[in-house]
Amino acid sequence: MTPHPKPPLLSVRNLSIRFRTGDGMVHAVNDVSFDITRGQKLAVVGESGSGKSQIALSIMGLLARNAQAEGEILFDGSNLLKLPTSELNNIRAREIGIIFQDPMSSLNPYMTIERQLGEIVELHEGASRSTARKRALEVMDAVRIPDARNRLKSYAHEFSGGMRQRVVIAMALMCQPKLILADEPTTALDVTVQAQIMQLLDDIQRDLGTSIVLITHDLGLVAGFCEDTLVLYGGRIMEQAPTLEIFEKPGHPYTRGLLRAVPNIGDPAAKLLAIPGSPPNQRRAIASCPFHPRCVDAVTDCAEKLPQLDGGNSKRACLRPVEELT
Amino acid sequence: MEARKRLNSRAFADDAAEEMVTSRSFWADARLRFFRNRMAVFSLFMLFCLFLFALFGHLLAQWNYEEIDWSVLGKVKTEGGPSLSNGHYFGVDELGRDLYARVVQGTRTSLLVGFVAGPAAVILGAILGALSGYFGGRLDQTVLGFYTIWISIPYIIFFVVWQAFFGRSLGQMILVIILVNWTAGLLIVRGQVMMLKNREFVDAARLLGMSDMAIIFKHLMPNILWVIVIYTSLVIPEVIMAESLVSFLGVGIQEPNTSWGALISEGARTMTFGTTWQLMFPAMFFVIAQVSLFYIGDGLRDALDPKER
Amino acid sequence: MLNYTLRRLFTVIPILLVLIIFSFYLMRLAPGGPFTSERPLPAAVMANVLERYGLDEPLHVQLWTYIKNIVFHFDFGPSFSQKDRTVNDVIAQGFPVTLTYGFWSAVFVLVCGVPLGVIAALRHNSFWDYTMTGLAIFSQIFPNFVLAPLMVLLFTLSWGLLPGGGWNGGQWQYVIMPAVALGTSYMAGVARLTRGSMLEVLGSPFIRTARAKGLPERTIIIRHALKPALLPTLTYMGPVFVYMITGSVFIDVFFSTGGIGQDFIDGAYSRDYSILLGLAILYSVLTFTLTLLLDLLYAWIDPKVRSNM
Repeated sequence: MTPHPKPPLLSVRNLSIRFRTGDGMVHAVNDVSFDITRGQKLAVVGESGSGKSQIALSIMGLLARNAQAEGEILFDGSNLLKLPTSELNNIRAREIGIIFQDPMSSLNPYMTIERQLGEIVELHEGASRSTARKRALEVMDAVRIPDARNRLKSYAHEFSGGMRQRVVIAMALMCQPKLILADEPTTALDVTVQAQIMQLLDDIQRDLGTSIVLITHDLGLVAGFCEDTLVLYGGRIMEQAPTLEIFEKPGHPYTRGLLRAVPNIGDPAAKLLAIPGSPPNQRRAIASCPFHPRCVDAVTDCAEKLPQLDGGNSKRACLRPVEELT
Repeated sequence: MEARKRLNSRAFADDAAEEMVTSRSFWADARLRFFRNRMAVFSLFMLFCLFLFALFGHLLAQWNYEEIDWSVLGKVKTEGGPSLSNGHYFGVDELGRDLYARVVQGTRTSLLVGFVAGPAAVILGAILGALSGYFGGRLDQTVLGFYTIWISIPYIIFFVVWQAFFGRSLGQMILVIILVNWTAGLLIVRGQVMMLKNREFVDAARLLGMSDMAIIFKHLMPNILWVIVIYTSLVIPEVIMAESLVSFLGVGIQEPNTSWGALISEGARTMTFGTTWQLMFPAMFFVIAQVSLFYIGDGLRDALDPKER
Repeated sequence: MLNYTLRRLFTVIPILLVLIIFSFYLMRLAPGGPFTSERPLPAAVMANVLERYGLDEPLHVQLWTYIKNIVFHFDFGPSFSQKDRTVNDVIAQGFPVTLTYGFWSAVFVLVCGVPLGVIAALRHNSFWDYTMTGLAIFSQIFPNFVLAPLMVLLFTLSWGLLPGGGWNGGQWQYVIMPAVALGTSYMAGVARLTRGSMLEVLGSPFIRTARAKGLPERTIIIRHALKPALLPTLTYMGPVFVYMITGSVFIDVFFSTGGIGQDFIDGAYSRDYSILLGLAILYSVLTFTLTLLLDLLYAWIDPKVRSNM
């Protein structure tokens, strides 16, 4: 008997995002679909420009003014893309929290940490100032900011990089949302702090049952953290599978290339291989595999047909069968 | 060996410095960008017309700017208005002098002051800035100290006091304007020089035994010329404005010579009597000049400033 | 904070001293004085007059007496050109006038400039935005000495709405035009600057964070965007105050408000050393005080600057 599938918490259906720019349209995200269930940890992996951050922004309704999003983002039965801002505001932070990548510039330099945390619960739960302060203190303790009580009145510039990132995470936790979008939460930090932050996110997920979407370019980060991984290239999903499988038998030439480019501590002698070529020009909508110009396994067909995302538990978008890949 | 010889040649230092300015055809690009800006080009044309007017306008005048037309004196309000028949195209002023000729003279003075004193002030500031940025140390401190004191003095006050005591000649005016404005552009040139002096081409030139002055003026200055050009374009309208304001206050250019500010001042004093042309004509010229200079400055900034590109 | 204030006050003292000494010698060394007229006074009378005002002593002694009197008695000495009036009298009479409309002018600059800039930024590329940009260019081109006559031409001579000059104890009709004429160009500058920094702030990541919190737009602007957007405006207000103070000289003269500007210009005409020096010191002190206050205000608002002090 197969287990009854859990209903998805958030369902992204055929999402496409385009930007109107001075020299034409830029297709940042093309026909992306995926689900997140309750308590799931999903990684969205891709190099810069693959459209991964734009997906997170479109879920929050924070796309830039010149962006157009098509498709559906279903949450609690409503399509977030169609929701007016006033209703979206009830979901932001309360139901879906977001952690931005640059903690320095994501915090208001002119407000105390207490006010920046407190205003969230004041807004969504009608909390009083003192309740808000108490809540801020709890959450700051939860994200392990030492001496939280005395730091409530501090400003962002008085924190170290790692502490700032904890404040940003605290901000996302204030209302205990069902889903947290973590957009490169550790990029700006050094390695030891990175590990601490990832541990923190892991604990939060376990304690609160929050679903987490981890957006990153760093496959190494994903390995120990997410059950499922989604590989994005040129705004399209290349491969979507349980993380273990991605690492053990990657089904897409791009994923394979990415893995070869990750340094391996166990085998320092192993060669690091960069993927030749550069990311695709997204000025025009393409009707071929976006990766084919850089793909070692490309055949003539690759330049002419758009591969569909196929498969059961692990899906891949490649015209060539797995066995034939180098 | 060959490579090192090349690196040690003066030609290399020259080339390297040259490269920063020209190899990317910096000025050609900038010229292209400037001439694509229609407002700036039109303004340049207007300014050119103003210069033509200042240089050759007197040829059309029927009267000299000092000459009093006795036939309209005393009935300026009724008969002194602009008219083609009696040769006073712009009418006459309070004393019955031909306003057209006076506007030509005023345009001369104001443009002269603006285009001599403005660039001179910026260049003075640029030289001081370059020296203090290049040598640093005590010289730098002294210059900066002076700078701090200078910019905290309300300049009109200084201007008026100076003018009141040292006469009202054109030369004096230009001198005091340079004294008041030398701080423009000083800081930015100093900053640029401090940044550039650590580049390889400066080291190369120094290794070759080039003197500091040669390095500053042959190698550094060409690379910051764009800053100087932008600042000059900003300072010129300011200088014209300052001259006009001081002349308006009555301590500027001495009669019978005149400037836009002095003419506007006279016009403003007499407009209560209904002779509004005495205000409108000089004001119009002043405004045209300011508009043109504004858009030219804007265009230059767009064309030259790397940040604006 | 207190430390900083004191340090700043101490740097003002040498600047003021330099200013006094410089102006003092500048005036005394220049040819001519308050008692040189076309018909020279008999030598005996002249000596008498000079002795009465202490002008017969060596220059450095005079300078010393002058500074001593200011520091210990707050006495700027007698006026040379106006009989039975001291410089203190002149200041006591004129300064309140200048300060009154100067204050209203500053209010006008902020109360109109800031909202205009904010609205233009929020309605980016709309009618309001273009109106404001137009206004900014307009006011850059029409400085107060062109704007003031034009205003009088319209509001007084054509429509008869407002008095074209005078003070009348500071009745509001008499204050409006001086305040507006003095402030307009700075108002536009403030609006333009506010617009620019508001646009920049609205595009910054921490505003995106605020949006991600679900805050309504109004709260985002008032609570999160306004303060950082206004900080550059605040820095700009320093030079604005300086220019407004010097600009007031012109306003006093043109609108005959009876403010100190008129006395200053009269002093320049009659070479009245003590009035010129006294007022120059007053203008400078005013400048320093206002800039210091602004800096302190800035530090009070910006936590980063505050913690560095």
